[in-house]
Amino acid sequence: MAPSHLAFLVLAVPAASAGFIALFLRRRGGPASALSVLAAVAVAAGAGWLALHGPRFEASREWLRLAGLTVSFGFNFDDLAALMLAIVGLVGLCVHVFSLGYMRDDEARARYFGGLSIFMFSMIGVVLADNLFMMFIFWELVGFSSWLLINHWYERPAAAEAAKKAFIVNRVGDFGFLLGIILCYHLRGTVNLSDLAAQASSGTAPYSTAIPLLLFCGAIGKSAQLPLQVWLPDAMEGPSPVSALIHAATMVAAGIYMLCRIEVLMVNPALTVIMWVGTATALYAALCAIGQRDIKKVLAYSTLSQLGYMVAAFGMGTYFQPQADGSYHTASGVSAAMFHLTTHACFKALLFLGAGSVIYGCHHEQDIFRMGGLAGRMKLTFATFTIGVAAIIGFPFLAGFFSKDAILALAFASNRAVFAVLALTAILTAFYMVRLWKIVFFGATRSEAAARAHEGGGVLTGPLVVLAALSLVAGWRRLYPAAFAGILANVPEAEGRAHGIVLGVSLAVLLIGAGASWAFYAASGTDELERRAPGLFRGLAALQQCFDRFYAWYVAKVQQRAAMALNFLDVIGLSGLVVRGTAGLAGLAGLGLRALHVGRINAYVYWFLAGVAVLWLFAAGIL
Amino acid sequence: MHLPCNPLLLAIAAPLAVALAIALGLPKRWSVRLAYAGFAAPLLLALDVWWHFNAAPKADGYAYLARYSTGLDGLGIGLVLGVNGIALPLFVLAGIVGFAAGLYALQSAAERLKLYLMLLLVMQAGLMGIFASVDVFFLYFFHELALIPTFIMVGIWGGRDRNYAAMTMTIYLTVGAMLSLLGLIALYVKSGAHSFDLIALRSTLAAQPLGAVAQKHLFGLLLFGFGILVSLWPLHSWAPLGYGAAPSSAAMLHAGVLKKFGLYALIQVALPLLPAGAAPWGHALAVLAGFGNVLIIGLITIAQRDLKQMVGYSSVMHMGYAFLGLACGSALGVGGVVLLMVGHGLSVSLLFLLATSVHQRTRTFAMDEMGGLGRPAPVLAAFFVAATFASIGLPGFANFWGELTIFIALWSFSPWFTVLAVSGVVISAVYGLRAAARVFFGPPSEAFVLVTAQHPPADLSWGERAPALVLLAALLFIGLWPRSIARPLDGALPTSAAVAAAAPAADAAVRL
Repeated sequence: MAPSHLAFLVLAVPAASAGFIALFLRRRGGPASALSVLAAVAVAAGAGWLALHGPRFEASREWLRLAGLTVSFGFNFDDLAALMLAIVGLVGLCVHVFSLGYMRDDEARARYFGGLSIFMFSMIGVVLADNLFMMFIFWELVGFSSWLLINHWYERPAAAEAAKKAFIVNRVGDFGFLLGIILCYHLRGTVNLSDLAAQASSGTAPYSTAIPLLLFCGAIGKSAQLPLQVWLPDAMEGPSPVSALIHAATMVAAGIYMLCRIEVLMVNPALTVIMWVGTATALYAALCAIGQRDIKKVLAYSTLSQLGYMVAAFGMGTYFQPQADGSYHTASGVSAAMFHLTTHACFKALLFLGAGSVIYGCHHEQDIFRMGGLAGRMKLTFATFTIGVAAIIGFPFLAGFFSKDAILALAFASNRAVFAVLALTAILTAFYMVRLWKIVFFGATRSEAAARAHEGGGVLTGPLVVLAALSLVAGWRRLYPAAFAGILANVPEAEGRAHGIVLGVSLAVLLIGAGASWAFYAASGTDELERRAPGLFRGLAALQQCFDRFYAWYVAKVQQRAAMALNFLDVIGLSGLVVRGTAGLAGLAGLGLRALHVGRINAYVYWFLAGVAVLWLFAAGIL
Repeated sequence: MHLPCNPLLLAIAAPLAVALAIALGLPKRWSVRLAYAGFAAPLLLALDVWWHFNAAPKADGYAYLARYSTGLDGLGIGLVLGVNGIALPLFVLAGIVGFAAGLYALQSAAERLKLYLMLLLVMQAGLMGIFASVDVFFLYFFHELALIPTFIMVGIWGGRDRNYAAMTMTIYLTVGAMLSLLGLIALYVKSGAHSFDLIALRSTLAAQPLGAVAQKHLFGLLLFGFGILVSLWPLHSWAPLGYGAAPSSAAMLHAGVLKKFGLYALIQVALPLLPAGAAPWGHALAVLAGFGNVLIIGLITIAQRDLKQMVGYSSVMHMGYAFLGLACGSALGVGGVVLLMVGHGLSVSLLFLLATSVHQRTRTFAMDEMGGLGRPAPVLAAFFVAATFASIGLPGFANFWGELTIFIALWSFSPWFTVLAVSGVVISAVYGLRAAARVFFGPPSEAFVLVTAQHPPADLSWGERAPALVLLAALLFIGLWPRSIARPLDGALPTSAAVAAAAPAADAAVRL
């Protein structure tokens, strides 16, 4: 089988699974979940083979041709796509298996697993797409599957609201994304990724800055960067495995992946904007995470913050580090971002599934202050969650340590201000993650639900163990197969004195953040920060809510009022005056229209038929 | 399939014949049975024509071209049937929507069912006739043939405000039809071709084009005449009102197919015959459609509380995209309009069908008095969500391709209007998802709890599912495989419409 056919199968299998479930297995949760998991196994196997052993290829077919416009359906399978495909396949499989247990008692299991399959289909489409039109198409479908899965418990108003918000906010980003694609098509004459790369760099061409910035709008929406980050914390209304797969590991990373795909279009001013947006998001979200009570909201803000890290890394661009022997090492933002994306996918999926395991164990309790003492009751979950926490806060030799260091090294070399902000963010990350870890797992149990907490069985813990193992090793780039060398060879590494500084800083921030948090927080039922520094706590809460408040104000006071006013004008002004006025005129003029005015519709028919008859007679020469 | 006579003629004649048989006093049981055939025949014939189109022999781009004398040859009027690549997608659309609307009507418990079916069949014949006519007179005639039953159906089976709605609709549409008739007659007189045959008119006017001023005025007359029929802002108020009151099958056929007559006539008649007439109107049209239909009506749609009104307004908004496609005057824009017409026709008729099904369960169209309908009626919810996402341009459904091509074409016309048009993507997401959430998700409203207590709602019945499935399948088929209609269409686009294919060119693109 040609690799392009296998890639097509990897794309088509989940689509077929979703279609079959929708048509035939709507009410049969068991077979539906089995089918969906089988599809995920097939995808993981196919993706693994393609990524590790398959050749890199491009293949394309015409999808639509109209008046000179051609939209093609094609694959561009390079090392970047291979890495992303492997992540999607692997994390996807873990989440599918975990869902078997987590959603065991859900009566709409079939819809849930159908939704997961649609998501896999859409996401793989984004990964493989060889042109921006096709990427946009699957990008929108990813948004749809996200809507579907957030909306899973649609009877909860909060879930329905969150799903709607996620889709609409994403569409705001896509507004810019689509304009960027259209601008790119008209200016560069193509939207094919390889063709764009083959074109001479056009840093001086008109609108060369507008194209990447407009395309970046798409990433702002999908990867929840400032100022469109508001949808992601709300999206936690979806089931936890969905949060792990879509709103942590893969879909929200699609924005970063897309940026890496269009790196050739980047110019320095655009990169600077992207870098600062990412940096600001990293810091802002970390500040927001500190005051959260909901275990998933903490993780959601942490995801935002880590995505900000990746975006900032991408925005720092490529940097050539001089080596001792006079040669240069290419340190690329793309590699740093993708490396962190990879490790983050492992440990954040682990953390979300761990949170799911905790929530499942505590009978759907999500407030961390009503948990406590789970370390003894859920040993495996505790152990794996601990690995996840250690990985994200950059504990030495775990996944996050290496990838975060790569980003810090790049920042140290290219922009010290960004370096300082990212280092501060790292302190905060350690601070809020240790807070979460301590409050959930230590101390006394603080609710009846937590007292009855228990592990959920092998389908829940198995994926945790796999992801924990990955979180232990994913930072060691030497362990990666050569297949991903195209991306991972250029991960930034600090040299010499810079190496010492970066390493020192990253260890220092870890110790400061984690130590302060461990010392400050008590594993009790109250938030120490709220108790001891209420002003600061309220300030953080206000900071967290300010965007939502502004948007709520805009929607309620601006958009809705404008809509109501226009509606009023439309009903009163146009329909009322114009129609009644016309009717009045017609009445004055008398004739046939008067019949209509008094409401006898059928008269129109007779008038028309009479007219036709007269015309006919006239034409036939009888009259 | 080898037919004894022209499939286009048969597609028009079959529903007419059934209507006639019913009118002649066929018993109700037989009327219903025969009506199935009457609605199915045009669909099967349309699919057959579609299947064979690429290979069929063509004259002047028209396949299945046939001329029938009407005794009016002195006036240059003859029944000339044929489909080209532009007519084909709409001919198929008329077949699909007609079939779905017919199926829906057959399962409904409408009073005076025989009369209702008869009128629908006449309407169906008219619709098939519109897109099979190569003769301008018959194009117009078939439009009127389909329009009159609409008025009657609104007047007899309409919901609340039906008299006012029917009156408004009649006045607007009559004025629109009169204006465009005036334009067509003027065109006929001015051309000197002594024929209503489009092919003859085209060759005459290609040899001796009208003066630029005459073209401009004639085009304007046709544009605003037909524009009223397609609810061009600010002449749109008949649409939400009329659709709000119309019985569902009539609303499906009118919003889904008949409304496209105006755009279709502009593309098939006005653009090729008056190639220099469109450009002077481009900007004015873009302003009306961009600010009026897309932005203002889009916002108004957000404010709707009545489900059916919401669908009606959203349809007016989407017509704004179509007018924007026409305004850019390029072949790509026109092609996008045809794609959008097909997608919109399918999705809006599906939405009207489902809105009625919702009404049967909630006993109201007021969205504030619904909520939580997804629980008792999950299949209805799934269809409604699919139709909503289709209508807001989600890829995978037919509408997306129309919107995308129009947006791309529009950039060459004016980047600012592209920005305006693309903003509609956000607006439509707001009203579409809001409506879906208010009807189906969250807890049920108090009013709906009361209704539920008296009439426990059931899920979508098979009688409702069948027509919905037909429409949804068509939306998905074209959405996943757009070549199926784009290929015939590509060969028929009026390249003479001045602007060359909107091939990307670095210099022409940027006029910010």
